Amino acid sequence: MGKFLLLAFRNVFRNRRRTMMTLVIVGGGVAALLLVGGFFAHMFWGLREHTIKTGLGHIQIFTSDHFKRDEVRVLDTGIDNWRQVAATVKTGGHVLGVAPRIEFYGMVSNGDKSSVFMGSAVDPDAENSLGYTTFSMRFASGRDLDSKPGGEVEALIGAGLAKSMNVKVGDGLTILAMTSDGALNGVDVQIVGIVSSGIAEMDARYLRITLPAAQRLLQSDRVTNLVVGLDDTENTDQVAAELAPRLRGLPQQLVLKKWIELATYYKQVRSLFSMIFIFLGVIVFFMVLMSSVNTLLMTMFERTREIGTMLAMGTPRAWIVALFMLEATIIGILGALVGVVAGNLLGVLLNSAGLQLPPPPGYTLPMYFRVLHVPSLMIGSSLLVIVSLALASIFPAIRASRLQIAEALAHV
Amino acid sequence: MEEIVNVEAVSRRFPLDNMPASHPAHCFVSALSNASLHVTAGEFLAIAGPSGSGKTTLLNLIGCIDQPTSGHILVDGVDTSKLKPAGMSTLRRENIGFVFQTFNLIPVFTAAENVEYPLLIQGVSSRERRTRVAEALDSVGLSARANQRPDLLSGGERQRVAVARAIVHRPALVLADEPTANLDTHNATQLIDLMHGLNRRLGLTFIFSTHDARLLEHTGRIVRLTDGQVVSDNSSEGGSRG
Repeated sequence: MGKFLLLAFRNVFRNRRRTMMTLVIVGGGVAALLLVGGFFAHMFWGLREHTIKTGLGHIQIFTSDHFKRDEVRVLDTGIDNWRQVAATVKTGGHVLGVAPRIEFYGMVSNGDKSSVFMGSAVDPDAENSLGYTTFSMRFASGRDLDSKPGGEVEALIGAGLAKSMNVKVGDGLTILAMTSDGALNGVDVQIVGIVSSGIAEMDARYLRITLPAAQRLLQSDRVTNLVVGLDDTENTDQVAAELAPRLRGLPQQLVLKKWIELATYYKQVRSLFSMIFIFLGVIVFFMVLMSSVNTLLMTMFERTREIGTMLAMGTPRAWIVALFMLEATIIGILGALVGVVAGNLLGVLLNSAGLQLPPPPGYTLPMYFRVLHVPSLMIGSSLLVIVSLALASIFPAIRASRLQIAEALAHV
Repeated sequence: MEEIVNVEAVSRRFPLDNMPASHPAHCFVSALSNASLHVTAGEFLAIAGPSGSGKTTLLNLIGCIDQPTSGHILVDGVDTSKLKPAGMSTLRRENIGFVFQTFNLIPVFTAAENVEYPLLIQGVSSRERRTRVAEALDSVGLSARANQRPDLLSGGERQRVAVARAIVHRPALVLADEPTANLDTHNATQLIDLMHGLNRRLGLTFIFSTHDARLLEHTGRIVRLTDGQVVSDNSSEGGSRG
């Protein structure tokens, strides 16, 4: 076996120029996959963290009724004993903080004009305990909500909503919403900050007030959900598995949702770009396959007499097939190594260049071009080209093994 | 004396590529016609004849590289016409050694590795392989060149490596197709002497083809072919053994 491997290895370098060309094609394919895959991985990572930190958190806790039926009145499927639930969750490992939230909606008016808002009521201190500040939203002007405000009810609004209502920091607005009893209630708020999430649709409707203010407006002590912040997104599954049985011991029936279950947009984007990446992988697969078949066929024709000699000496035909496939696999492994090294080096170079891309559709902030070095991608891309080459060698290998010995020995 | 090769009324016809199928009577060319030959163990035999006389065809048939259109060939007691391709491959691997006109060494292997190859495909252990390769190279006087690749060897040395490769697995029969065709007279004579010496010392049966009349002076038994037919065989004149 050792000598057979040696024969295959030495054969690979018989025609160095041709081998180098094959390695460039194979390595180029791997490097391209690593760069595109690494960029997509960075994009997925960025979108994931952005999704989590713009409000989703790592885990959210709801009542089970929240998913069974629509609310007839605001907060009628909310969590009653949320302080007890939060205290239970906080005792778990990897948990940085638990933030109660109320999701509500209503009308906002500046006296002349009204608009719909999507409201989020938060406890600023609890939000800060989640491990990321103000949901990573960028302040266009003003400041964050004060956890212990004075007389005025403070509000943050999205940049799009501020523009629509023609208000700035320090101006007042009136917000109107239905209470949990079904009555209409209103409260005057003072704008203390104008924020941008980067998503235009969100900025056009976003409004944020403190939790006590919202509970007064909605006439309820309940909250919509509890958002759990973890030290690392990678710990989500572990924490969720540990929390689920502990929540079952509480009076109200609760449901725990991991961020991925709630991140519809993230999943759609990931699915789309994964398909693009698979398409690219298919192109690389066929590129390597077709170019390698040609190279290996040329190799077979050049070695016709040698193959004839080996067969004449009694070499089993299966050995000839194995020899060609082994040579192709060696080229695949070397090409994969070249590609992994080249792809990572190019990735480092591109990362250090600090390139920026225009904002994606629906976003207002530019995107940094970064390539992540993903080990699973390196292994996957390498396996892809190695399998491509092994498959490419089947046809030439079988042709070589089926040569008529007498004709092969007379081959010029 | 044990018969190592028995060729009985063998013919070999090849189809012509460009002949229309509508003319079946004319679409074959006959390379060997009703040839018979008996070779006993330990013989040193030359097949002589001009180009196109059927020498290579006969050697290919004896060496199980090709199969006859009609007739029977027995090699070491085995009827080759009854063998399947795998069986023929096994017979070649274990019972026959080949020396080719153009040496046909594996270019990426050293001389020693080339000689080792037949043992490798027989599954001989590495220790045994080392011993037998050293013996074979020593027997052709190339021990000092064992680690050279073929491109660094002269034509004569390459053919001696090919001879060592042909005898290393101790075959019952060594077939050499025009082994001296690519050598000068000096190297050609040396090679024939070497093969003759191996034939005498080891008792190996050698059958080689040539059209070089000078080499036939060293050969006891000469079978002459013309137009695919055996026209003379001097075995009855004696001196066929080396």
